Amino acid sequence: MAELQMPPKKKNSPVKTIKRSIIAAAVIALYIWTFLGINIDWARAFERMVNNFERVIPRLFNPDWDAFDKVMDAMIETLYIAFAGSLMAAILAIPLGFLAANNMTNNRFLTGVGKWILSAVRAFPDLILALLFVVAVGPNPFAGVLAIAIGSTGMLGKLYSEVLESIDMKVVEAMEANGANKLQILFHGVIPQVIPEFLSYAIYRFEVDVRASTILGVVGAGGIGTLIFFASSNRNWNEMGLIILIIIVVVTIIDFISAAIRKRIV
Amino acid sequence: MKKIDYGQVMAGKTPSIYTAKTKSRLLLIFGVVLALYLFSTYQTNSTPAELVIGLPNLFALLAKFFPPNFEVLIASSVVAAFSETIQMAIIATTVAAVLCVPLSLLGAQNITTNKYLYGFMRFFLNVLRTIPDIVLALIFVGIFGLGVFPGILALIIFSLGILAKLISETIESVDMNPLEAMQASGAGTIQTIYYGLVPQVLPQFSSLVLYVFEINIRASVVLGLVGAGGVGLVLDQQIRLYNLENAMAIIIGIFVLVVIIEFISNKIREAIV
Amino acid sequence: MIEFKDVSLVYPNGTQGLKDVNVKIKEGEFVVIVGLSGAGKSTFIRSINRIVTPTSGALMVDDQDILTFKGKDLRRLRTKIGMIFQNYNLVKRSNVMKNVLAGRLGHTGTFRSIVNLFSKEDRSLAYESLRRVNIEEKLYSRADELSGGQQQRVSIARVLTQKPTYILADEPVASLDPPTSHQVMSYLKKINREDKITTIVNLHFIDMAMEYADRIIGMRAGEVVFDGPVSEVNDQTFEQIYGRAIREDDMRGGADREED
Repeated sequence: MAELQMPPKKKNSPVKTIKRSIIAAAVIALYIWTFLGINIDWARAFERMVNNFERVIPRLFNPDWDAFDKVMDAMIETLYIAFAGSLMAAILAIPLGFLAANNMTNNRFLTGVGKWILSAVRAFPDLILALLFVVAVGPNPFAGVLAIAIGSTGMLGKLYSEVLESIDMKVVEAMEANGANKLQILFHGVIPQVIPEFLSYAIYRFEVDVRASTILGVVGAGGIGTLIFFASSNRNWNEMGLIILIIIVVVTIIDFISAAIRKRIV
Repeated sequence: MKKIDYGQVMAGKTPSIYTAKTKSRLLLIFGVVLALYLFSTYQTNSTPAELVIGLPNLFALLAKFFPPNFEVLIASSVVAAFSETIQMAIIATTVAAVLCVPLSLLGAQNITTNKYLYGFMRFFLNVLRTIPDIVLALIFVGIFGLGVFPGILALIIFSLGILAKLISETIESVDMNPLEAMQASGAGTIQTIYYGLVPQVLPQFSSLVLYVFEINIRASVVLGLVGAGGVGLVLDQQIRLYNLENAMAIIIGIFVLVVIIEFISNKIREAIV
Repeated sequence: MIEFKDVSLVYPNGTQGLKDVNVKIKEGEFVVIVGLSGAGKSTFIRSINRIVTPTSGALMVDDQDILTFKGKDLRRLRTKIGMIFQNYNLVKRSNVMKNVLAGRLGHTGTFRSIVNLFSKEDRSLAYESLRRVNIEEKLYSRADELSGGQQQRVSIARVLTQKPTYILADEPVASLDPPTSHQVMSYLKKINREDKITTIVNLHFIDMAMEYADRIIGMRAGEVVFDGPVSEVNDQTFEQIYGRAIREDDMRGGADREED
């Protein structure tokens, strides 16, 4: 049989090769910087682990049921915070969503401002917001509600504006042609199209907010996080075990219910 | 019920659009939501009235954060804290990206055909995702003491839960035909996955890893608040010392960092997909 | 040689896939299986490389009962049986070369294949296979940039690279237009002649079966209802196999091919 021929080499354009090498070099440099820069005291971490492992892990799996009432009350307070915050956000996000949607606000400058506000709000981690509000209104659940409300407004406003931008504009045009005024178009042409998605996103956001509000108490903004903070500073790992268990169960139930409701809406 | 043609609805002449049943149901839902809201606000002392009364107070206190003292951002300890935050996120994302490969294969129904193994994996990943990152950080700080190491561990576990779930969903949506062809030609399981599955999920994989990197940057900021390293630690100190102008500058710094990282990762994502 | 001895297959949901099948296929034959969809053609073909496993009987490939095969034996069996699919089953995002080299996976160690260390021979073999189906110029194109007919040719090249003793083709032209269908069948026939590879093809187009087959096996409801050389086949045979009159859509049509 005749000698087989090798396939021709793949031709890469030099630009592509150079581009790839630059990216590869940048990534390698980033990792070198990371590993040289990070300062982990392995010896100390190991020593601590030897001392503490036994004191922490087994206790986490042995929840302190005597604290059940206290923990459950705090969890319910967390749910109140999440609910009040989410609902506030669901309403606050509506005008911002309209402002940021290209097809609702015909002024490019204004939509730009709207989008910028929304992404600016989103960039703040919830806990940092909570920290700010704790300083402003004192260490109570109200600070938590405000943190959740503001944090969620950023995300919901963005999602709302995307929903608005995807609506069927022919309906709106038809109404304009019929001589309907702006408010009528809004209530009969726009809102019926976006209500299911708005609701669905708001409920989804409630799910996220329940998770987020479990930790707000760590900085003093109420809810179960307060107990998390105390349990860890008192090294009460049995109670921490119960707290984690309750969070897992409640969050799972909320996720389940919310998914079921959202399925029915859309 | 007759479908309403919105184009026909004239100004000033709107017929009743909903049936009595729908109306009463909507009213009920609205009532329940409102009642729950009022109750929640009562329980958390956050009635709108409270907000109005508290508002001037709030603004007065927020005013103390201004003007931000940007000079603090060039202090070497703050620069180091910012670098530490980025480094923690890079390490945690890298480790989570590696670890999530076997986990997401086990959590994908089309690859792991064993019903119990798959079910267990799904359950495990869901539970993992419900534990807040701060709680993980507190536990690891409890074990390893203050520092970056517990922070990195907390980030790894936290992002692993998110990443493995999203990637196993991506795996479940791939085209199984080429995998069948490879199995039919005698390729082993690992070869089939590497040649049939990996090329199909690689773009989404990279995109999701970048997404988790963004999440980790935000999370590692926060972890500092409980002593797990990074810029959050500095922020917490400044607030405790009531250096609010410094705190504001750091907060703005965090904001800029998050926006820049988001911008870069969006660019990379566009180039990949 | 492939030999079905009283082979039956009942799917877990109770469907009878194969029923007492007795067939012997000799070296170098080009066999076309015909029948309506659901007649068991696919099950027949997929039993040979054990993508499905018959529930009773014996299936001899090269004098070994493959129904007992597991793990390594099964992989070794599959490396000598190439398979072509209706939907080409290429990795759409990978390039043609990588798709064709996938045919060597069964012959290559796991580690070598993962670090992309295919031998020189394997790579030249892959290139040669692409040349045989005249698609070598698409070597580095991504699979999803090719037309259906081109993709099917790449999948034939993948099978050639596997160096099989048998080729199974499961409805290889069902997703193609008439001229491309004839092109693909011609390549399969050419390979069958030149390399003496036993080829078994599922088709539901009567005219194509008649044109390319040496031998036709007709199936209905999991049973073999006809088995004989093409010369013995006529319209009545097909009506018997299909259990109804022949219709227009049982024909692929010659399109713009010349009749001689």
